[in-house]
Formats: sequence, C-alpha cells, structure tokens
Amino acid sequence: MLCEQCGKKQASVHVTKIQNGQKIERHLCKECAHQGGEFSTGIDFQNMLSSFFEYPQTWGQKARPKQGCPVCGSTLTDIQNRSQLGCSQCYTTFDSEVNTLLRRIHGTTEHVGKIPESSHGRIRLERQVQDLREQLQQAIAEEQYEKAAELRDQIRSLEGQLDGKEG
Amino acid sequence: MGIGDAIRRALSSWTKKEGPHGDIVLGTRVRLARNSKDVPFPGASSKEQLQSVLDQARSFPDVLKDEGSFVFYDMAEMDALDRDMLVEKHLISPNHARHTFHRGVILRSDEDISIMVNEEDHLRIQVLFPGLQLQQAWKHASRVDDCLESKFGYAFDKERGYLTACPTNVGTGMRASVMLHLPALARVNRLREVLGTVSQFGLVVRGLYGEGSESYGNIYQLSNQVTLGHREEEMIEHLERVTKQIIQSERQAREYLSQPERRLAVEDTVYRAFGILSFARILSTEEAMQLLSDVRLGMDLGFIHHLDKEILKELMVMIRAAHLQKIMGQNLPPEERDKLRASLVREKLNPQALKKS
Repeated sequence: MLCEQCGKKQASVHVTKIQNGQKIERHLCKECAHQGGEFSTGIDFQNMLSSFFEYPQTWGQKARPKQGCPVCGSTLTDIQNRSQLGCSQCYTTFDSEVNTLLRRIHGTTEHVGKIPESSHGRIRLERQVQDLREQLQQAIAEEQYEKAAELRDQIRSLEGQLDGKEG
Repeated sequence: MGIGDAIRRALSSWTKKEGPHGDIVLGTRVRLARNSKDVPFPGASSKEQLQSVLDQARSFPDVLKDEGSFVFYDMAEMDALDRDMLVEKHLISPNHARHTFHRGVILRSDEDISIMVNEEDHLRIQVLFPGLQLQQAWKHASRVDDCLESKFGYAFDKERGYLTACPTNVGTGMRASVMLHLPALARVNRLREVLGTVSQFGLVVRGLYGEGSESYGNIYQLSNQVTLGHREEEMIEHLERVTKQIIQSERQAREYLSQPERRLAVEDTVYRAFGILSFARILSTEEAMQLLSDVRLGMDLGFIHHLDKEILKELMVMIRAAHLQKIMGQNLPPEERDKLRASLVREKLNPQALKKS
C-alpha cells in the first residue's frame, strides 16, 4: 500500500482513530507520519515552566546564586529540573527569581485572597487597617468628615489590637 | 443483581444527582493546594518527612467530623484497581494513583469531598458537586480548609499567599472548574469559536480527565488560569459568568437544532446512537462516549423520555477500564473490556434487548 499523503512511498505507519464516532484510518510512510499525525511540538507544560526557570539575560551582572536553600538544600538547577520549588523557604531564598517567575505566570506577585484565620490574625488585621485607611482617604476627599472620624476611630482601635499582638 | 448495580452503589454522589443547569453543566470542582510550613514540599521531602505528614493526616477525619464522615486511606495499602477507580471518579489525580509510597487520600462518605495527601503539594482539598455550584463548592472547600489549618501549620506568606510546590498554584492555591457537555455547539461547528473566545478571558479549556487528556463525548473542563492577584470570590464569579454565557450559547444551539427543518436530522443521529448502544457487542470508550453524548442530547431535546438523565454521567465513569475490571474482579485485556462495556451499556439502555439475545 502506498502512503496516502505523498502517494510515493510504501505506507508503514497505520493509525486508527475514532473521531466523532467515525473510524478514521490513516496509512502513511514514515516521513509523512513524522511531518503530520505523529508530530510533536515539544511544547508542554513541563518544558515551558522549566524554561522559565532558566537564568534570564536581563538579570545580567547579578551572579546566579550557586548556594542551595538552607532548609531543603535545593539549588536553582534542582528547581529547574523539577519545575517545582523545594520548600516554603525557597520562596525567600530565591526571592528575586521567584518574583520574576510569578510575574511571568500570573502577571503579579501580590496575593489578595484568603488569609489563614488562626495563625495569621495579624496579617488579617493589617489588611483590614489598610482597607479602612483607603476608605478614610475617600471620605476626606468627599468631605464626609463625620464618616472620616468614625473610620479614624476604627483604625485606632485596630492598631491598638495590632500593638497587642506585637512580637 | 445486574452487573450495573454491582458498582452503582460505588458511584460518587455527584454522578448520581442532577445539579443546577444539569442539562449542560455535569459538575463543579474547587481544589485548594496547601502545604506545611515545617516540611519541604513532597517532591523534595525525605521518606521520614513524607511519613510524618501522612501520619498527621490520619487524624484529619476526626478534625473534620463537623463536616461529615471522612475516612483516611493509605495509597500503598490500596488495591491498584481501586486506585484507578478513584481516578476515573475524578477523586484523585492519575499521578497519585501511580506513585503510592507515603501517599494518602481522605474521602467523605458521599465522595463529594476528597483530600490528597503528599501529591505535588502536602494537601490537595477537593470539593466536587453536581451541576453549576461554584459558590457552594468554594464555601465547602474553604470550611474544610479552616478545619485543617488549625491542625496543620500552613506555609503562608503575606505577599504571595499560600505557598505551593509549583509556582503556577501560588497565592490562593485555588483551581475552580466546571465540566460542560456541549453537544449542540459541537454539532453546529461552533465549539472552537466559543472555547477560543473563553481562553482570552483568563480561563483554560481541557478535556475530560484534565491536563493533556483528550475530549470524549463533547465534554470539556473550564477552569481559572492564574491563582495569584485575585480574590477567590472574584475568580469564582468570573468563571460563573463565563460559564453562564456558554450555557446560553449551548441552549441557543439546541433551539436552533430543534427547528423543524433540522429536527429530523438530529433525531436521526440520536436514535442511531441509541440503536448502536442498545445492540452493539463491542464498544470502545471513545465510541461509547460519543454515542452517549448523542443520546443525552436526545433526552435534553425531548426525543427520549424513558431514560434517567444522569445515565451519561453514570456511564461515563462506569465504562472506564478500572470500573469494568472491578465488576469482573480481575484484569481484562482491551478486547474483553470492549465486550463488557457493550453489555453493560446494553443493560443500562435496553434491558429487554439483553434478555432476548
């Protein structure tokens, strides 16, 4: 049987596929199979992510850190090979690399979502104070001074709680 | 007892029940990735460290007792077929079934909630509900998360949020997804257009079994792309909005197909599919899924009344390799599975035909 695609060489690759309930049979020579059906782009999640970990030229003069993470021992090369960070400390150890990566993937480096309640009450309070401060600015801009005074009191009270949690 | 009944009881509740917009949205999933601050991520942990996390997880059913009845399973002690069945039911990842050492899973009795232990992250909390129930699934996942947080010191950073092994999950650690059945859009050749548009709005489209899997039976999964920089509620609302647009567009396509000049052709497809499923002796998964998709469209368009609508969801899990082999209690070569699949589908769709033949 000759190859369906080029019609010249012997078909040596036979592919059967069921597509939309229809059986599709393809008979191709090796060359055409390579060019067509059996083609792989080499672009997959793992490769792409791994390439993100490569040391970008834009970091230029700053030397690529050779030392590993003090907690798990992972080096940047380990991280690149695994496409995963080793431990939570890696995020601090490789701070600038991680930030570059996060900007590439998420377009930002800042978390604005859920905060663990029990262990991170302080962060939660800080964010609340920040929100209230923004509201306070708004109130002042709109000359709503009564509301501004209320907000100011709330902020003071929360800041009092924050001082209590110091340390 | 028929062969179908043997594992019907073993099905998760999301496959048995119909949820909101259940004619198009088969199910909703919300998954949260969480890690311990004291132990390296599973990929960089020692055996002892993995074991310590697994041991901690054994107490989780007790921690979660206000959220229902949970059971802990050690993956290494589980039968290979049982592990594959959990994959087919979407309760664990294929990766989790393959590498079992020091890994575990915690399941709620109705299988609406599962927690993978020591997968890519220490904990993967997953809530799976029938139909479109994004808000509810998020609330449940977040409650389970709150319970576990009190026992498991989470790796959390003020700037970057929940820290995960893979930087694509950092921040909220949340992946919310909906499983959509879109036979009418496929039939009018508008699927590529619709799904292409959706991907311009920060959402990812995948096949039935997640990353890298093909789409069978016109079923697609839609989920959020990024996990950092947006509040969970915001992401959920966005996904819900886009999903509702797709629902509307699929409904319009169904209406279009029901118009008198097109109705007969669709009816023909539906009944041919019903005919093949009712009498076929050999069925591959792909063929079965496509035909089941046609039959389900026929039910949604009101051509077929006598079948339970959830048959598509039930069968799409039951006809998978591990479920079939579980029925027979042994490993089967692909040809034997194709035969068994055909007889299982025949019994579900057309019990009379089975008895006569």
